[in-house]
Amino acid sequence: MRIATSLACLTMALALPARAAGLPPDAAVNPAAPNKTLEPNVVANSGRLEWVPFKRDLTDWPTLSHEDKRSTAKPRKVKLSQPLNGDPARGREIAQRSDKGYCIVCHQMPGEDWPGTVGLNLSNFKQRKYADEAVFQLLFDARVINAQTVMPPYGTNNILTEQEIRDLVAYLQSIE
Amino acid sequence: MRKTCLIALLALAPLFAHGAEPYREYDLAETYEPHVSGDMRLSGSYRHWANPGNLDWRMAGNPDENWKLNWKFMDPPFNSAVHGGHFAMDRGELLFKELNLKGRFAKCLGAGKGGLKGLRARYPMYRADLKRIAGLEEVIESCAAREGRVLQNGSYDNSAVSLFVAGRSNGMPIRIDVGKGVMRDAFERGRTLFHTRAGKLNLACSSCHTHQIGLQLRGTVITTPYGDAAHYPVYRTKYFLQSLHLRFIECNLDTRVQPLMPGSRAYTDLEVFLTGLTNGYPVSVPSERD
Repeated sequence: MRIATSLACLTMALALPARAAGLPPDAAVNPAAPNKTLEPNVVANSGRLEWVPFKRDLTDWPTLSHEDKRSTAKPRKVKLSQPLNGDPARGREIAQRSDKGYCIVCHQMPGEDWPGTVGLNLSNFKQRKYADEAVFQLLFDARVINAQTVMPPYGTNNILTEQEIRDLVAYLQSIE
Repeated sequence: MRKTCLIALLALAPLFAHGAEPYREYDLAETYEPHVSGDMRLSGSYRHWANPGNLDWRMAGNPDENWKLNWKFMDPPFNSAVHGGHFAMDRGELLFKELNLKGRFAKCLGAGKGGLKGLRARYPMYRADLKRIAGLEEVIESCAAREGRVLQNGSYDNSAVSLFVAGRSNGMPIRIDVGKGVMRDAFERGRTLFHTRAGKLNLACSSCHTHQIGLQLRGTVITTPYGDAAHYPVYRTKYFLQSLHLRFIECNLDTRVQPLMPGSRAYTDLEVFLTGLTNGYPVSVPSERD
């Protein structure tokens, strides 16, 4: 009987939808969908706002809600194990793709006609002679080096995999 | 059985708790003035768009310089083109007249002896009936419901009515008092939110709109937060009629932050903050943005 009760309790706990993940009640989500995040679709001449699934699920990270009691992932110091094993060609693709690194939003890089200017100009990155370890840390979590950086923590927040970061390091270190 | 489960869940609660205070990160604090001229201390672009009736048309036509006009060349009176915002305003007038047949709707929105004139310039405001601060669109939804009509916050028809109401204040300077009481508290909460890192990319609004103004994110040049709340709801040429809270949702999605519902307390605090930074600048509708 006790085992049955425990199992029932566990089932109830696991079945809790948005709240179980710590999502605030004012988040625009559909807890039952595979991609929980919703975006609004304004329908002309209608008093109702339509909500459709967004292409990404963003529910794992803290929102701006006053009721969101989840923590931001703390800065994480990492050690690069050698060899680097990065592929510069893959790294370049990651730097350009909006669903990957999308480095060109902020940085000037070779071959980009319309790059961003917010971040460091990476056009001749190799000449800066940074160690692979330092570049890996910068990409994985730059907050360890500068607490006020606007560089997203690509590794800590699982934006890129470790291999993708290694590819990016290889690409950056190849830009003459 | 339920009681047993409740006790068991309460016992397990500490396993899921993150501690009393969650760890959050913030951009460096910045002081802002609750008046549009405060931009002279932030980006200095205000000198180019302070007088919306007399913008430099040469800057408006130069892609390297038009950001300095804070896109005000897409507001009336400089922008005299007919666009989707005008059609929305016409529909808003129609809906308003239907809702206000007995005169209750305008009164519910807060219209006094002068009718709707000047009303938009005073929003957001504290609403005793709602027991909280509310933006115009939230109040439109609430007042329409009293007339038996669904006008959800952020919907086309809600924004259309908001545009019509705002049109009756066109040219009048935004004037909300964020110097005392609950409005000051909301302004300060909004300021903190503006500096709060969130989402997958761990960015705050201020990461770009305070500390990187004038720099490029690919083809987009980052502009000042000052003076931006005067032209909402806005007609977006790339898709739809957009209220300020729907703009916040778009900002959130662009920076990979889980968005909130229109009318949420956090978005309303941000609206109070940004409207405070627009004090002194004239209501300018219908406007368009790319």
